[in-house]
Amino acid sequence: MLSVRRSAGAFVAVAIGVALVTAATLLLVSGRPQVPDRLAQATVVVQSPEAGAADSFAPTRPWSAIRAAELVERLAGLPGVDAAVPDRAFYAQPLVDGRPRAADGQREDAHQGHGWASARLGGLRLTAGEPPRRAGEAVVDRVLGLRPGAPVTVLTAAGPEPYTVTGLVDAPGVHVADEVAAALAPGVRAIGLVLDPGADPERVAAAARGVVGGDGRVHTGDGRGALEPRGDARTRWIGMQVLTATAALAGFVTVFVVASTFAFTVAQRRRELGLLRAVGATPRQVRRMVYAEALAVGFAAGLVGLLVGAALAPALGRLLVDVGFEPATFRVRYALWPLVVALAAGPVIALLAVWSASRRAARVRPLEALREAVVEQRPIGRLRAVTGTLLVAAGAALGLATATSDDARDGATFALYAVMALVAGATVLAPAVVGPVVRLLRSPVRRRGGAIGLLVRSGALTATRRTASIAAPVLLTVAFAVLVAGMVQTSTAAYAVGRADRVNAGWVVAPDGAPGLSDRAVAATPGTALLPTTVFVPESAPAAAIRPLTALGVDPVAFAAANRVLTVVAGSLDDLVGDDTVVLTASAVPTAGLPSQPYPVVFADGERVSLRVVAVVTDGSIPGDLLLPRAAVRAHDPSALTSAVYVRDRIDPPVGARVVDVTAWGAEADRAEDRLVWLCTLLLIVVSAGYGAIAVVNTLLLAAAGRAADLRLIRLAGATRRQVLWLVTAESALVVLIGAALGGSVAFAGLLSIRAGLAEQVGAPVDLVVPWTVVSGVVGLCLLLAVVASVVPTWRLLRHRPGRSPVGTAAG
Amino acid sequence: MTAPVRRAAGPATGTVAVMTTDTVTLTGLRAVYGTGTRRVTALDGVTTSFAGGTFTAVMGPSGSGKSTLLHCAAGLDRPAGGTVTIDGNRLDDLGEDELTRLRRDRIGFVFQAFNLVSTLTAAQNVELPLRLAGRRPPASDVAAALAAVGLADRARHRPSELSGGEQQRVALARALITRPAVVFADEPTGALDSAASRQVLRLLRALVDDHGQTVVMVTHDPTAAAYADRVLLLADGRLADEFTDGITPAAIAARIAEQATDPAGGSRPPAHVAGESSC
Repeated sequence: MLSVRRSAGAFVAVAIGVALVTAATLLLVSGRPQVPDRLAQATVVVQSPEAGAADSFAPTRPWSAIRAAELVERLAGLPGVDAAVPDRAFYAQPLVDGRPRAADGQREDAHQGHGWASARLGGLRLTAGEPPRRAGEAVVDRVLGLRPGAPVTVLTAAGPEPYTVTGLVDAPGVHVADEVAAALAPGVRAIGLVLDPGADPERVAAAARGVVGGDGRVHTGDGRGALEPRGDARTRWIGMQVLTATAALAGFVTVFVVASTFAFTVAQRRRELGLLRAVGATPRQVRRMVYAEALAVGFAAGLVGLLVGAALAPALGRLLVDVGFEPATFRVRYALWPLVVALAAGPVIALLAVWSASRRAARVRPLEALREAVVEQRPIGRLRAVTGTLLVAAGAALGLATATSDDARDGATFALYAVMALVAGATVLAPAVVGPVVRLLRSPVRRRGGAIGLLVRSGALTATRRTASIAAPVLLTVAFAVLVAGMVQTSTAAYAVGRADRVNAGWVVAPDGAPGLSDRAVAATPGTALLPTTVFVPESAPAAAIRPLTALGVDPVAFAAANRVLTVVAGSLDDLVGDDTVVLTASAVPTAGLPSQPYPVVFADGERVSLRVVAVVTDGSIPGDLLLPRAAVRAHDPSALTSAVYVRDRIDPPVGARVVDVTAWGAEADRAEDRLVWLCTLLLIVVSAGYGAIAVVNTLLLAAAGRAADLRLIRLAGATRRQVLWLVTAESALVVLIGAALGGSVAFAGLLSIRAGLAEQVGAPVDLVVPWTVVSGVVGLCLLLAVVASVVPTWRLLRHRPGRSPVGTAAG
Repeated sequence: MTAPVRRAAGPATGTVAVMTTDTVTLTGLRAVYGTGTRRVTALDGVTTSFAGGTFTAVMGPSGSGKSTLLHCAAGLDRPAGGTVTIDGNRLDDLGEDELTRLRRDRIGFVFQAFNLVSTLTAAQNVELPLRLAGRRPPASDVAAALAAVGLADRARHRPSELSGGEQQRVALARALITRPAVVFADEPTGALDSAASRQVLRLLRALVDDHGQTVVMVTHDPTAAAYADRVLLLADGRLADEFTDGITPAAIAARIAEQATDPAGGSRPPAHVAGESSC
């Protein structure tokens, strides 16, 4: 009973779904932390204590210079250890011709400086020249094209510094004399151990654990991946989200598409199924037959999808790295279990999808073989109507929750569920809604089409199931595209407005091609500078837990003037002076008013300082967790970089900086992240639109086969070939437009509630951004494919004379 | 027409006298379609039986309920009231699966529109009911079944490569492969020309004469009905007339005409004609 033609749509859908799932799981499994090249030769690495949750990507809490020196000495004395070398990293960006190298922009290690001693941990050898011995000497990457003896300007946190190249290595970054490194980065986050030949790493690691105790962690082998740059870990985490979302969406949409394909196939085969029932097939056998067909399709398509997905994985991996969803160190590794999962995915997807179709097939009665014309059933069953209504009601309730929620995270979650419920409800109810919508559209069609209009209208009205099953994937695709794209763009714009709204300044000086602004650039700029650093605060519970906080080094008077939303609850910002004062937010203090007890923090140099709380401000009124005097931040974090300077008037930007107006700055502050989010959104829309297109084409092709007799009759009744082609074109266009209109309205309702929620959150009116290019692209794609998929089979059908018509055999 | 001559040659009346067991019994059969104002009573209390080894023709005007009678008797449709007993099994006691199994094993059905599966060959179509029952008939059985309907050389042809008469004979072979207690035929010659019709009817007659098969056939063609041992006339869902003697096309046509002008059992207004398509 298996028909290749009938199963083609399901086959393609399952194959693509499994290919996506295969590629995504392979890439997910491949995304493992890499041991940094710089620590390749350090068989055992001791890392300073982790701070915050694993997915916060905050740096570890450093050891102070004294503690680090003590640890180094004790670790170096362990049996089997040849050398213990502290790894210090600080900001140092070599300028070639006055500018940073363009290609280095993304790579964190290209603008990091290290002490020369740590070159040993990476097994670096000089390719030319000598090591740096005193201040002002540096070893640089060979690719910069400099020679030993040449001068080079290195951008540091202080400003551009003149250095002399003493040697070259085959690795990114700048290596300076160890005393210079110790001054620029007093805090140490890793100590690498180089072992004697023949020493057992595990034994050394155990001894090292004894030395550091709770004040750090010891890694060997692949475990040293924990020392990868935090940026890489974050990128990989983003990639993981994208891949998981893609795989989940692919699986969900595949089930949906395949289910509608099978449902349609069963509807078309009612006569054949009735015949089988009449000659003695039990409902169970019919059901089993449908299941067997689905299994065969699922297995075969799953195998094809598996091979395609596995073959495409490396190329996709490279693409992800280029786009920024995976770190540059990412490599695809083939593992067994993702392949096994993918192999099982095909049949499982097919079986899930065929469940409801098989129930319907088993309900076909034997007498249906005797019916000449297929009479449409009720447009919608009671269970279906109830399900659809409940889904729409749930969607509306969640939409209301979105609109009234003032927490960004809650709002986004509500919005997502609201959308899913609304879209699913609209799809389920589509057959019931199609009729009224067609009636709404009937007057324009009648005026334009004459006889064709009559046929189009009556066809769409009587065959509501068919109309609905073509409109449903369009509805789903358009609703998803409009909603997701609109949500992302609206919230991006809303947050940009919110950000710009807080700043009381005309212009902002922002870094250009560098991670931040140096002190010299800030000194040359008359304005309000923010100097962010990370400080570490011991948590009350659990014991020994440390929380990383973003501290802003500011000049209190200028900061207060430049911040529109700053509200002081207690104390005064004017007291934020000296090196032991701090301003906290209201949620960080246990009681109202100024807390009398000191506030201990650990700075980036590892020093523990007890701070005096001089003022408390409301939550959300500062773009960080706490405020410190700028001088205090600089004193404890020599490599901290200024993120932005607010200025009143437009000025000429210093080296490594540019000036933008506040609105543009608000929009671009999260540009890198917004870009990734938008790419991810487009990826998901492409996946769903692709599936929508498959579903539309498949349904139309199947419907065309079922309509052959009808169209022949219309030809016999005197319609020209061209009129029949017009008829099918108008029919499919009408159905696609109905689906698009329904999907668009559902999505628009969702967007309105999201907008209301966002306005609540940012405290400013929010413009609804509808991504018309995406919407028109998706609708246009569906329209084009629908017309092609209905005109081509009709055209082929009409090549024959109208008189021939099949008689006497069941539709097979 | 040569049919009456052929029939006269058969020992049909003798068979009826010998066989006393009723293979199929219908008691107070009622069937209703639609709801409200569209409600149509297709069968209104029909009680009759079909004896083993007999050939019965069921006749009547469109909408008289003859197809419904056949569908209910064959277990393809469930009556609103009354009982159907086949070979001692009451159909209304059976669930859908049991009913299907009984139909598969004990009932053969021949449709007007042949209803062969277009993707299967003639031989595969014939063995389909047994395959559905989980048995694989020996190739010789299938070949014999096809040979019995004169299609031994067509076993590997698909329905589209066969003429209408040949397709109907394949359908007949399919109906017989399970050695059913009774074969129901719904207008089996309705889509055939007279030569092909004759061939199919002679086959049915031979089944009764040579193998003691029980056959119930719905037809509106007196010539076809003349092959039977007994003719039932239905009108408005009721049994209007029944006769076994002097079955010739002319006699049948006369009884039908008589029935139409002077409806013996039917003083009711004519039933809704939608019944024909709904059965």
